Amino acid sequence: MLQRKICLLGAFGVGKTSLVRRYVDTIFSDAYLTTVGVKIDKKVVSLGAEQVALILWDIAGEDEVAAVRMSYLRGAAGYLLVADGTRPETLEAATSIQSRIVVELGRVPFLALLNKADLAQDWAISAARLQALEDAGWTFRRTSAKTGAGVEATFEELAALLAR
Amino acid sequence: MLDLPARISNSLFALVQTQRAVAHLLVDDTQTLVQAGGHLDHYGLSGLRCGEPACDQVPLLEGLLPLAETPFLIRSMEMPSGRVADVHFIADESAVWILLLDVTAEHDEARRVQQKAYDMTLLSQREARLIEQLESANQELTRAHRELAESREALLRTHHRLQQELRDAERYVRAILPAPLTQPFALDWRFVPSTELGGDSFGYHWIDPEHFALYLIDVCGHGVGAALLSVAVADTLRSEALPRTDFRKPGEVLAALNQAYQMARHDELFCTVWYGVYHRDAGLLRYACAGHPPAILVSGPRDCAGQGRSLAAAGPCVGISAAASYREEQCSLGSPARLFVFSDGTFEISRPDGSQMAFSDFTDMITRPVEEGECELDRLLDYARQVHGGETLEDDFTILRMAL
Repeated sequence: MLQRKICLLGAFGVGKTSLVRRYVDTIFSDAYLTTVGVKIDKKVVSLGAEQVALILWDIAGEDEVAAVRMSYLRGAAGYLLVADGTRPETLEAATSIQSRIVVELGRVPFLALLNKADLAQDWAISAARLQALEDAGWTFRRTSAKTGAGVEATFEELAALLAR
Repeated sequence: MLDLPARISNSLFALVQTQRAVAHLLVDDTQTLVQAGGHLDHYGLSGLRCGEPACDQVPLLEGLLPLAETPFLIRSMEMPSGRVADVHFIADESAVWILLLDVTAEHDEARRVQQKAYDMTLLSQREARLIEQLESANQELTRAHRELAESREALLRTHHRLQQELRDAERYVRAILPAPLTQPFALDWRFVPSTELGGDSFGYHWIDPEHFALYLIDVCGHGVGAALLSVAVADTLRSEALPRTDFRKPGEVLAALNQAYQMARHDELFCTVWYGVYHRDAGLLRYACAGHPPAILVSGPRDCAGQGRSLAAAGPCVGISAAASYREEQCSLGSPARLFVFSDGTFEISRPDGSQMAFSDFTDMITRPVEEGECELDRLLDYARQVHGGETLEDDFTILRMAL
């Protein structure tokens, strides 16, 4: 079976682990548990007649002390950059990570996720900033690990991009 | 390398192997699993099959082989069993050794510390955002407050200007009221609007040397509109400006007035009118009424209790129906007698408890004997204010007294 490594990256607390739990196990917990190191999950999806095993690397979030280890992305076919729509600074963290990935791996398919879309009243990312990044080639998807909105569709959209 | 005797090196290796639950995999250059051993169960990696593709059996290897650098370490990888391992990759000629060393205890400790640090950071970020929102809201409120203050000042300026205009208008309304008479009979009045401009007006004048007209108008409502209409109606009567009308005939006057002041052409305002004509030589009073309270005639000397006679006449308010007609009545008017013409604001007085003054209280007041030096108009006004419980009455207080 075809296997594709996909990394989830972003600042700490944006919901990377929750997105994987929602996608792989269809569960969600409100309790925030930080990730240290790496957690790997596997999910098999059907793309047309073909089955593809997605190897999901949930990598500990970046903070002011520890940067994401770019060597962990080695062999990744694509990645999901996750930001928290209620914390604008996490979108800037995502842009920083993305620029380092380009240096390390070159142009690899990715989608940018604006997570916590269920917290619409606390939404804090400006449309102008999103437009600027879209103009730079980014593709945004709004997701909510809490409600499940946009989660499965986004993972499978990236899987389809990788299978081409 | 440590320069240790073999027995110490072996003890150290045994210690690491026991405490770190070491497991190992060997993958050749075709990415086939060649060898697997150690504590594989500890990591949930039992059942591996040598001679088959390594990446299919151990997903973490996907994309990492062949090695780009050696040695290569992945720290704190959560394994299928839930244990956490440091995963070491070491190239050995064309093959790659993968060594797993348990670091679950260190991982858990690091996670506890990191969890607290992140919780604190998230809280401080949230606090900073809230402070920013509060500051923004505060600025917005300050701006709104400033605008409100400016609007209030503008409103106050407009209010003061309008107040001044209203005072000017009130002065005008008062200025055109006729002065009290003393000859050939006494005629006095009290006019106290409930607001600066009321809906009451009145007048009297000699139509000819024998006929004296007396009238009171009460327009529904108060304020500028009511005052304008009231003054206009009074002026129409004063100047006898109704075509083909004999002002000595009260019924004819009110019918013509009703034609001239239909509410459809006067902003839906209508009014009540009492209009009487005193024929001096005949000692006769003719009168008609358009929805107005009846006048009261009190016969007899002032210092004796009198008997009040109601001077009512049928007829609707002026302005409501163009087809209205007004019945004319008459009565003798000989000395000594006092005729009171008034608006409803003189007797429809509410008490502080909400109850209404009785009309009989009003008639009692004007039929009561009047002492020397006393004025029954002031007595009545004082009584109305006392009943109401304040200087400012709810409705216009207008009363005329003609004393023969």
